Amino acid sequence: MRDILILCALTATVVLIAIWSLSAGAVPIPWHIIGNTLFDLEGPKQEFIVFQSRLPRTLLALLTGGALALSGVTVQALLRNPLASPKIIGINSGAALAVCLLVLVLPGAGLKWLPVAALGGGLLAAAIVTGSADFGRFSSGRLALIGIAVGFLCDAGVDFILATSADAQFSAPLIWLTGSLWARGWTHVQLVWPWLVILASLILVLSFRVDLIQLGDSTATSLGVAVRPLRLILMGLAAALAAISVSVVGVLGFVGLMAPHMARSIIGGAHSRIMPCAVLIGMGLVTLADATGRAIAPPIEVSAGIVTALFGAPFFVFIMIQSGKRSRV
Amino acid sequence: MNARHRLPLQAGAIAVLAFGVLILSVYGSLMTGGRSDIRLSDLFTASTNGAVILDIRLPRTLVAACLGVNLGLSGLILQALTRNPLSSPSILGINQGAALGLTIGVIFPSVGALVGLMPLAAIGALAAGFITFSIAGVFAGRIVSLRLILGGVAVGAFASAMVRFSFTLEDDLARQVLRWTLGNISDVRWHHVQSLFVWSIGGTVATLAMAHRLNLMALGEAQASGLGADPRLTLMIGALMSACLTGTAVFVAGPIAFAGLVVPHMCRFCLGPDHRILVPATALGGACLLMAADAASKWLTSPVELPVGVVVAMIGAPYFLYQTLFSKGAI
Repeated sequence: MRDILILCALTATVVLIAIWSLSAGAVPIPWHIIGNTLFDLEGPKQEFIVFQSRLPRTLLALLTGGALALSGVTVQALLRNPLASPKIIGINSGAALAVCLLVLVLPGAGLKWLPVAALGGGLLAAAIVTGSADFGRFSSGRLALIGIAVGFLCDAGVDFILATSADAQFSAPLIWLTGSLWARGWTHVQLVWPWLVILASLILVLSFRVDLIQLGDSTATSLGVAVRPLRLILMGLAAALAAISVSVVGVLGFVGLMAPHMARSIIGGAHSRIMPCAVLIGMGLVTLADATGRAIAPPIEVSAGIVTALFGAPFFVFIMIQSGKRSRV
Repeated sequence: MNARHRLPLQAGAIAVLAFGVLILSVYGSLMTGGRSDIRLSDLFTASTNGAVILDIRLPRTLVAACLGVNLGLSGLILQALTRNPLSSPSILGINQGAALGLTIGVIFPSVGALVGLMPLAAIGALAAGFITFSIAGVFAGRIVSLRLILGGVAVGAFASAMVRFSFTLEDDLARQVLRWTLGNISDVRWHHVQSLFVWSIGGTVATLAMAHRLNLMALGEAQASGLGADPRLTLMIGALMSACLTGTAVFVAGPIAFAGLVVPHMCRFCLGPDHRILVPATALGGACLLMAADAASKWLTSPVELPVGVVVAMIGAPYFLYQTLFSKGAI
C-alpha cells in the first residue's frame, strides 16, 4: 500500500514537472494556456511552440531520463556497487569516439548519422568491456576497472583526433554529445520510443532475477540461476538503453547514478519495486534539468547535461560519504 | 626486493641504462622542432639557429622535464598513501580539479588576481583530492580501492565537465582552451621555467625527505603508527604535496593524464618497492618520459605539432588497460 502511494506521488510530481517544462522557456506560457492547447479547449492557445518545440522535447526528456535511470539500476545491481553507472562500462566515451571517427572518415555525412554512430560506438565499447571482463576470472571490480580503462582509451583517441584535425568540423558533433535537448523534435522521439519501451519492459520482466544475481554469483547459481548468460543479457539491455539515450540527447551525467540511489532510499527492497520508482525519478530529474536550463536565463539555454552535473555532483558526493560511513561496499 | 641487495653489476647496468635513456630523451627533445635543419651543433655557432635552440627549444625541454618530475612524484606519493597501484592524479580527479580551480580564476578575474592562478590550481587539486579521499574512506582509515577509483573518476568527470562548460561561454577562448586542456607546452618560454623548476626541485627534496614515511605507509596504518610515524600526518603532508605538484604542472601545461600512473609503475617494476630509491628514480623517469613525449609530439605529425598531453595519453591509456586486464589482485 505504501509502495503504491509512493509511486502515485512520484507520478504526480513527474506530471507537474512535465507541465512546468512545457511552460518554461524563452516565451513563458501560463499553465491555463497549456491546458487549453493540450486538450483543445476554448480560449487562448499557443499551438506552435507547445506542439512543435516543447512537447517533443519534454517527451524525449521523459523517455531518456527513464532509460538512463533503469540502466543505472541494472548496472549498479550487476556490479554490486552503488558507485557504478552506465558511464563506467564505457558507453559515453565509445559514443564520442565513434562520432569523431565518423566526422573524420565521412566529413559530409551530416547530423543525421550522428545518433547511429553514437549508438554503434557506445554498444561496441560496452561489448568490449563486458567481453574482456567475462573472459577469465570475473569480478565486478575488474569489470569496473576495465570499463574505466576502455573509457580512457577512447578519450585519448578523441583527444588525438581533436588535436590533429581542423577546428570547425568537430564543433557540431561535440555539441551534440554535451547532453542537451536543444533542437530535438518529433523525429527523435519517434526514432527511440519503441526501442526504449521494449528494452525497458524486458529489464522489468527480469527484475526478479536481478535480485538473485545481487546475492552473489555462488548463491545465485545454487538458487538455479544461470548467472553468466543472465549477466550478459542484462548488461546488454542496460548498455542498449544507455547508448540509445546517449545517441539522441548526448551525455546526461549523474542521472544513472542519482536515480537508483534516490529510489533505493525512498522505496528500497526488491528490484521489482526499485526499478519503476527509479524510472519515475529519472524522468523527473531529466525533465526538471531541461526545464531549469531553459528557465534560468532566457533566451539563453543552459544545456541539461550541465544542469544535471552541477546539481548531481554535490548530491553524489554527499550520498557517497554518507553511505561510506555506514557500509563498506 | 631491495635494490641495495642487488649485485653491483646489475645496479650499474640499470644506472647506465637510465643515463642512456636520459641523454636520448634530452637529445630527442632538443633536436626536433618546426625547423628540421637546426641541429644541436648549431649551439656552438653564434647564429639565429643557436638562438632557436636556446630560447625556444631549451625552455620547452626543461618544462617537459619538470612536468614529468612533478606528475611522476605526485603519482608516487598518491600510490603510497592509498596503497593502490592505480592511484594517480588523473584517475583520482586531482588533475581535473586543478584545471577547474584555474578555470575559476580565468572566468572571475578578480578572484584570479586576489589569490593568484597557481595557488588556485593547487586549491582545486586539493579540494578534488579531499573529496575523492573522503568517498574512499581514506580519512576513516579504511581505504576501499574500488570506491577510490570510482569516486575519483566521478569527481574528475564533474570537474572536466565544468571546465568544458565554462569555456563554451566564450567562443574565442574555446579553441585556445581546448588545446590547453589537452596538455600543451608549445608556447612556453623561460619565464614559465622558473616557477616550475623551483617546485620540481623542492618537491623532489621534500618527497625524498618523507620517503621513509612513505615506506612505512606500505605496511598499513596500524604498523606505521606503531613504528612512530603518525599516518594522518603522512597523509596530510603527502596530499598537500601531491596537490601542489599537480597544481603547478597543470598551471603551466594543462592536465596531462597518465604520467603519474605509468612512471612510478615502471620504476617499481625495475627497482623494487623502496621509496628511498623510487623517489629519485621516479623524478628521473618522469623527466625522461615527458621529454621523449615532447620529442614525439613534435615529430609524429610534423609539421603540425600535437599537444604533449595527447602523446602521453596515447602511451598511458593502453598501459592502464593492460594493467587492469592482466594485473593480479589489484582489486
